[in-house]
Parts: sequence; C-alpha cells; structure tokens
Amino acid sequence: MIKLSRITKHFGRQQVLRGIDLTARQGEVVAILGPSGSGKTTLLRCINYLERPSDGEVEIGGFKVDCKHPSKKEIQTLRRKSAMVFQHYNLFKHKTALENVMEGLVVVRKLPKDEARERSAKVLEKVGLGAKLDAYPSQLSGGQQQRVGIARALALEPEVILFDEPTSALDPELVGEVLEVIRRIAKEGITMIVVTHEMGFAREVANHVIFMDEGRIVEEGDPKEIFARPKEERTRQFLKRITPEASYSI
Amino acid sequence: MKLDPSFIWTAFVKLLSAVPTTLFITFVSVLGGLILGTAIALCRIYRVPVLGPISTGYVAFIRGTPMITHLFLVYFGLPAVVDGLSASLGWSFRSVSIPYIAFALVAFTITASAYMSEVVRSGLLAVNRGQLEAAHSIGMTTPQALRRIVFPQAFAAALPNLSNSFIGMLHGSTLAFTVSVVEINAKAQIVASTNWKFFEAYLAAAVIFWGLTVLIERLAGALEKRINVYNRGGVA
Ligand SMILES: Nc1ncnc2c1ncn2[C@@H]1O[C@H](COP(=O)(O)OP(=O)(O)O)[C@@H](O)[C@H]1O
Ligand SMILES: [Mg+2]
Repeated sequence: MIKLSRITKHFGRQQVLRGIDLTARQGEVVAILGPSGSGKTTLLRCINYLERPSDGEVEIGGFKVDCKHPSKKEIQTLRRKSAMVFQHYNLFKHKTALENVMEGLVVVRKLPKDEARERSAKVLEKVGLGAKLDAYPSQLSGGQQQRVGIARALALEPEVILFDEPTSALDPELVGEVLEVIRRIAKEGITMIVVTHEMGFAREVANHVIFMDEGRIVEEGDPKEIFARPKEERTRQFLKRITPEASYSI
Repeated sequence: MKLDPSFIWTAFVKLLSAVPTTLFITFVSVLGGLILGTAIALCRIYRVPVLGPISTGYVAFIRGTPMITHLFLVYFGLPAVVDGLSASLGWSFRSVSIPYIAFALVAFTITASAYMSEVVRSGLLAVNRGQLEAAHSIGMTTPQALRRIVFPQAFAAALPNLSNSFIGMLHGSTLAFTVSVVEINAKAQIVASTNWKFFEAYLAAAVIFWGLTVLIERLAGALEKRINVYNRGGVA
C-alpha cells in the first residue's frame, strides 16, 4: 500500500502542489489525469524523492517518511520500495537491455549475477523483448525502449511502480504495444500509479481515477463514474477537450 | 650548413633514453590532473559551497597563465613552503633534497588539473540528467550512480578532448628542461652540444614527439571505438 498525506511542493515562490492526499491499496491501479502543468509529474517525483516535497508524509509498504526531515537512509528506502517508468524512458544508454534490467538487481538488491541475469531475461521476455536482450537502447524503437523501462521497474518487484505518461513520447502506432504490457502487469496485481492522457486505458485499467488541476485534486473516484458523470466543471472541460483525440479504443 | 643525415639517426637513438622521462612526466601529470580535475569539476557542477567558487577561481587563474609560469612559481615557491612546513613540524627534510623532476610533476599536475577539469565538466554535462534520476529511482546511491552510470558515459563523451589534453601535456612536458630535467628536448641539446648539430638533434626529437602523438591518437581512437559501441544507433 502507498499513502500520501498533505503533500505540498514549492519551486521558489511558486506553489506546485497544494496538499495532496492519495492512497493506493495493494494491487490497485490509480490513474492521475489533468491538464499540463497541473503538477502530476511533480507529485510522482515527490513519491520517490526525485523532487523533495516541501511538506507532508509519504508512506510506502508501511514505511513512513516525514517530508520535513527525511534522512538519506529514509529516501533510499523509499526508492527501493518504488520504481519509476519515465516519459523519456531514461534507459542507461551504455548498457544493453539485459544490463539495464540487471543493474538494480545486482547493485541495489545484491543478487548474484547469474541469478540477476536469469531473472532479467525472464522479465524482458514477459514484455516481449526476449529477442532483444543484447540490444543497446539506441538500437531499439521508442516502444521497445519503454518496454525495457517497464521491465527494469518490474524486475525489482517494488511495492509500487510510478508511471509518468509512459506513452506520450511515442509515435502513435507504438502506443498500443506499451499500453498492452502495462495492462497485462496491472492484471497481475502490481500496485501502480499512472499519469496518463490515454482515457480509454484509464477507464479500462484503473481502479481509481484522480483529476488534478493547479496542484490540487479536483475530483476523484471510480473511473466509470468520473468519465460518465464528472461532477466538477473543470473535469468536464478537460475531458471534453481530451476525449475526441484520445479516444483510444481497446 | 650542411645536413648530416647520419647524425639524425645517431641523435634519434641517443634520445630514446630520454623517452621514459618524458612519458613519466606526461602520465603522472595527466593522471594527477584527471583526478584533481574530476574533483574540481564535481565541486563546480554540484555547486559545493566554498569549494565550488574556489575551484572556479583556480581554473580561471591556471588557464589564464602560461604553463611555464606554473613551473617557475612551483620551482621558486615550493622550497619555501616545504622548508617552513618541515621546520614547524620538526622534520629534518630540507627542500634541497627535492629532485628536480618533482617540481615538474607538481607544476604540470596543477596545469593539467585546470584543463582536465574543463574536459571532465563538459563530459559530465553531456550526460542527460535523466540518467542520474533513473539510477536513483531504482534505489542506487549517488556514488553508485556516478560510478556506474554517469562517469562511464561522461568518459565516452570526453574522450576526444581527453586525448587532445594528453597530447598537450606531452608537448608541454618539454618545459621541464628549464628546471634541469633531462627529457627529450634537453637530451637533444646535450647530444648536439659536442658537434653543434642542433638541427639534426631537434629534428630527431621532433620525429619522436610526432611518433608518440600518433600513438596516443591511435590508442584513443581505438578506445573510443570500443566504448562507443552503444552509440552506434540504427533502430532495429
Ligand atoms: N524543477 C522545476 N523548477 C521549477 N518549476 C518547476 C520544476 N518542475 C516543474 N515545475 C513547474 O511546476 C508546475 C507543474 O509541473 P509538472 O509537475 O511537470 O506538471 P504536469 O506533469 O502536470 O504537466 C509547472 O508550472 C512547472 O513549470
Ligand atoms: Mg508531466
């Protein structure tokens, strides 16, 4: 389980997050929607301390950290309990697909190399890249790179995987293969928080949808409810704007 | 003046005995400069309080002054520092027992550190910030991330400049003759002093320097090819 309480974040004088509460139970998929600049990325990055929250509390798998005075060790622990899939993949450029996935297992989890290799190959196979183990990121398509990114996160068996618009940098014809992989691992009961503009995907896969605007949660609830009968005007406008082009059907 | 080709060869053979000295000075100053320069680059990039601004000033001063000036400052300044230190600590060590080559090593390491820090810095800046973040996100500590993810990529990006600096230090090492170190050029002067065939002797020295330069370029080129495998691109 992951629980955020009263998260705020300032960049200088600009307040980007204004008190966010969010809970994802074990195995739940939470989708975060909202216009660009509303603070979605910042919120995700506050969970694993790539960005340091100004205030609030982050709890992952029973491990709670007060954002006011986190120690290096606490930050480390939060990062080990979570994993992130980045908008621009951020694969280790100088490592092959297999090495990308192995890296965390060997260096962080201290698994013996053989075991790490075996496990990494299995996970890559699972995301459909069994034939690309020795390819460098520069030799892979965007969709393939993002699937390696997912494998890298998945292999660590974290309490939660954080996805930041995992398909928005992809060519349209490559979006499907990545969403398909995410959908598959969601069914395995892995806790996920997904920032996405893919409404169809959110509706089908998410257990809970959060709509953010200007650093606040404007509306949240069951996806079927929110998409069918949004209560807030801002949600309605956003959905109207985004649905025609993003009516990715599943 | 008539050229004496056979003396070029004679000088060439005699000069070879000074090659180890030149290479020793070059390797030590490049290696020392690389270590010091990396520390300086990190202080500047991560804006370390106090050390960051000092590093910036240090690099500006060293790059703004000639290499031979560094050598003279060290040659005439270091003994006073050493004697003062040694007196206050009650050691028996005196600066007169410092070998000449040590002045060259210290001075050239200082020179190299400023230039290397710029090379390292541009290499580090060439590595996308997302690489460090990805490493952090899987739970690596910052030292682990730097060592395993950032430095290898920065090294690959910096290699061409690194090999240029290396060659610069090789050529610059000739200045060591001013503090009585017998490197290749000094040896040429000695070899020619008996028969005044300086041109032949320096021509032989030039051939040796050129050969060493080509060797460094070749090695760097081969290394570059090897570690840049991952950049070969081409979407599969
Ligand atoms: N590192 C940063 N420094 C200053 N401002 C930032 C930084 N990162 C994000 N912001 C600002 O925070 C706001 C929210 O950004 P972001 O979280 O990326 O929104 P979203 O992901 O919803 O598009 C934006 O106004 C953005 O300009
Ligand atoms: Mg964003």
